[in-house]
Formats: sequence, structure tokens, C-alpha cells
Amino acid sequence: GVFAHLEMLEARASAAAVKQEETELQEEKLARLKARVQELRLQRDELRAKVDLQQNRQLGKEGAVSDLAQPSARAVLEWKIKSVKAMLQIFYLTGISGKLTKRGVCFCISTAYEGAYLDSYHLDLCTKPEVQILRHSIPTFIPLERIAKKYLQTDIRRFLSVLSDHLNAYVGRRYQAEQLQEHFSDQIEGTLQRNSLCNLLVFNYNVSSKSKTFPFNVRLLYGDLCCSLPTEVIVSSTPNAPASLAETAAAHSEVFRRVALHKAFHSFRGAERSVA
Amino acid sequence: MDETVAEYIRRTVLKIPRDEIKTMLQKWGFLSETQLQTINFQQMKESISQDVVQLCEENSADIKQAAVLDIIYNHIYPNKRVWSVYQMKKTGEEMEFFDLTDFKKKFKRLLRSALKNVTINFREYEDNAIWIRIAWGTPYTKPNQYKTSYVVYHSQTPYVFISASVLKSNLPLLCQALVVASTYQDIREMELRSHSLNSLKDIVFKRYSQNFQTYYPRPLQERNVAPESDVRIIQESRNEKERIQSVNREVFGDGPQPQLEFAQYKLETMFKSDHKMDILDKKEPFRCLVKFSSPHLLESLKSLAPAGMADAPLSPLLTCIPQKARNYFKIRDKKSFFPGSFVSP
Repeated sequence: GVFAHLEMLEARASAAAVKQEETELQEEKLARLKARVQELRLQRDELRAKVDLQQNRQLGKEGAVSDLAQPSARAVLEWKIKSVKAMLQIFYLTGISGKLTKRGVCFCISTAYEGAYLDSYHLDLCTKPEVQILRHSIPTFIPLERIAKKYLQTDIRRFLSVLSDHLNAYVGRRYQAEQLQEHFSDQIEGTLQRNSLCNLLVFNYNVSSKSKTFPFNVRLLYGDLCCSLPTEVIVSSTPNAPASLAETAAAHSEVFRRVALHKAFHSFRGAERSVA
Repeated sequence: MDETVAEYIRRTVLKIPRDEIKTMLQKWGFLSETQLQTINFQQMKESISQDVVQLCEENSADIKQAAVLDIIYNHIYPNKRVWSVYQMKKTGEEMEFFDLTDFKKKFKRLLRSALKNVTINFREYEDNAIWIRIAWGTPYTKPNQYKTSYVVYHSQTPYVFISASVLKSNLPLLCQALVVASTYQDIREMELRSHSLNSLKDIVFKRYSQNFQTYYPRPLQERNVAPESDVRIIQESRNEKERIQSVNREVFGDGPQPQLEFAQYKLETMFKSDHKMDILDKKEPFRCLVKFSSPHLLESLKSLAPAGMADAPLSPLLTCIPQKARNYFKIRDKKSFFPGSFVSP
């Protein structure tokens, strides 16, 4: 009937749309990488020119002339393998890379924070009849179902971008807490209370003023799961602390809001040294 | 110090292997270093436990402190208990900030409001795991410290690992307390059970090695480069062996498998026979239970095809276990024109 025909056309149209989107994604990536390859080629040529110059200077001293041997087939193959590996490495370093599979695509989201490469997570998607997650290695406390319900069917690019933001922010918060425990354990009193998402941190730390130490309690709430900085900071001191410490507490609160945890403590240490 | 507490501590120490007693007492932290120095850990366990009880007497230990020692023991030897996995559900979309103090307060309040005689202890570990030990009593008797339930919960995940004691009647109350304290709405038992708590965690938290196809260059394994062990031995079916290896690797991944002891399949399918041999007058499902057991079930399934005992690829009913996060299945006939069976959710 007519409806069946219409349905078929609709299905065809949506399949074509998904395909087009995929090709657009690919083309975009390709364009970016081509630009990068050009950049790298320019660099390489410059360096080669430098090397040649050096070599010529050397040879000039010795007075000998060497003829450039033709690169062997094996050398060409090795160079090709090397450049393919470099290309794949570049793909991986962009943070979101994918590989077409029998049933769809397998994406790899690699996370990093402040130059440190952290964990990689995988998503195996099938694209027919509709986009579905077959399997994944995303931790259970990341709200994957919620993000998928919102974006997976309609805008896969946005889905990956939002998921990547969540994962990167999570590893960033976790990294800060771990750095704090590793490098500033002498200033922390007791244990650091945190949770799986690392979006609530509570701990006590020591502040010294006029050669006496006072404990501060800080409660960091990370309201935005895509952000690695807290949305709410409460720094409090004990009731019997001197009034001047209230100013320090407010100042510290500001620092925690703007700067990564371990960097904040680094600055406190520096400030204390300059005061003492 | 109470007689019962002393006896409980004595029996707990006796469970610990002799070489581990000192480290566990240090972890416990209830006895000071100087006190621990006075114990001779080379003597018989019975004498060690007597010495420990003596020192606890000096420090007037109560049941709460003794319970902490029990938690430490169970945390280091979780495989002595059978763990079941439960899944919680909630419909709300608001993000919860999991607050540990809040959780503990709500949990204790709900349990205590229903049952006065109950001992509850919490202990948190570095991997965000919260261990809860519950000793159950009745309105008329004190809590039985030898029949305890253990709960392990990782914050902001929907999974709870419960090792219930023999007293199954307290399970609904325990589930209700967990749901309320963690601000979820519903809880159900998953069909996933094992002695190995860490393997259960690996399965539901997806920490086991799944083989994802990526371009990220992994070090290629050397193939056929190793010299033959003996030139006189000829591998007849090398191609087939390689095919089995690659199919196996695709299905099971490269890393170690989570450790499960059982897989149970309850069949409720119709008995299929020729009509001439109508064994059953009534068309009833033929009830049958198939149980696979092994000290390490998934590793043994992985080695079936390479050992030549089964065809590769293995039946998806066996290989879907970590993916579906269950090892107890019900198989029924599909009620449509396609004959076959399907696995119930």
C-alpha cells in the first residue's frame, strides 16, 4: 500500500542521512589530518635541509663528494609502515578515534589531563537498523544511558563529544585527588572522603599562621560533571581560630574554585614560604 | 569485657592463617604496637588467640571493635563467602552527590527502626568500596554475631554485592535499607553469583578484558617466527588450529577471565520427538537443569576449543555470560513460527 511505500522511503532516507553524516565526519577528519600532514611535511623538509647543510659542511671540510644512493624498495616499505603508524598514532591522540567493524563502528575515547595521558574507553556500536550500543567499557557511574537517550539516535557527534567531556572531567578530578594524596599528604589530616565519580571531596588540612597550625575543613562539590573544577566550595575553620584566618579561608575558597586542587596546594605552600 | 565478645574474638583469630595474624591485628589497630610485641606469633594458634583475648580484655574491647576485625578478615578473604549481585534502579535524572555520612545515617536509621537488636559496622576502602557488616537479632534476642550478612557497595553505581547469611528472612529489610540510603527506588536480584567478589565486580563494572577492535597499534604477537621444536613433528591441521585460536581470542579477549564457579541453565522447552514416539500425552515443557561447574568456569570454556573438546565458536549461551552479567539462565521456547529457544531476560 501507499503507507508501506512511504515507510520504505522514510527508512531509506534516514539510512542515507546516517551514511551521509558518517561520510561527513570522515571527510572532516581527513581534511584536518591532511592539513596536519602538510605541516609535518614542511617541518620535515626544513629539518632535512638543515641536515643536508650540516652534512655538506662536514663533507666540504673533508673535500669528498658522496653520491646519494637510490632508496631501496625495503627502505621505502619501512618508511611507509612508519608513516602509517604515525598516522594511526595521530588518530589516537585526537582523543576520539574509530574503526569500522562488521556491524558498525568501534570508538575509542582516550582521556588526558594537563598533559598526562590517562585511561582509554571503548564503545562498540552497531549502525543498522538503528544506532545501538552493543558493548562498552565505560565505568558504571558515568551516566551513559542518560547521554545515549538524549543524543545517540539524533546526533552521534554530539553524543561522543558529551561522553568524552564526562570521561575527561572524571579522570581530571580523579587525577587531582590522587596528586593531592601523593604530594601533599603531610598537609592533609586524616583521610580524603570522596566517591566513585570524584564529584564530592571532603577533607581537613593544616594552615599555619604565626607559627601555629590550625585545621581547615573543606568541602568541594563538582556540580557540573563535565567540569574538573568545583562549582561549590565551603572552607571552614574551627570556632576557636583567630579572626584573621577567616580572610585566609575566603582566599583559599577562591583559589579552589579557580585552580586545580594540587596546584592550589602548591600555591599555598609557596605563599607560606614567602610569608615565613 | 563480655564473655561472648571474648569468645567471638578468640574464634575470629583462630580463622586467620597463622602467618597473617600479626598483619591483620596491625590493620585492626585496636591493640598497640607494644602490646603486639608481647605476643609470640610462633606458638600454636590456640595459644595466640588466648593471648590476643587477654590483651583485648585489658583494653576492654566491645562488640563493635570485635566486628571491625571480622570485616578486615572478610575483606582479605572474601572468597570464603558466596556473593550475589543486586541491581538498583531509579527513574529520576537529577545527579546525586553521594555523601557517605548521609548514606550511613539513613541506612542505620531504617534498619534500627525496624529491628532494635542489630549490630551495624561500616568500613570504607580506597577503591570507593563501602563494606557493611550486619549481625541480626530478633526483638527478643541479641544479635547473632556468627550469622552475619555482608554488603559491598560502590558509591554512585547501581550495583550492590550481598553475601546474605542463612537468615534469608532479613533480606527484604536489608534491600529496603540500601535503596533508601542510596536514594534509589527499586532493587532486584541479578542472576549472577560467585565466590569471587572481585570477579563479580569485574563483570558488572566491565573491568574484564573485552576485545575491542581498534587501530591503536598494539604490539603484534610474533607468529610462526619461533623455531620449530622438532623438525620431525609435523602439524597436520595448523590452519584449523590458528582459526580456533583467532575465534577464541575474538570471543574471550586476551586477558584473564573473571572467576565463576557455576553456570546453570534451566530448560523449559518442549520435548521434540517424532510423532510416532509420543512419550508425553500432554504437551508439557520437559523440565531439565543443566549445570556446569568448575573451579574457574570461563577459563575452562576458553580452553575447550583449543583442546579439541568442542567446536569453535562455542555456543553463545556459554560465551554471553560476562556480557550479559549472569550465570543462571532460563531457556524457554519462542512462541512464534520460528522454532528455537530464547533466553529470558
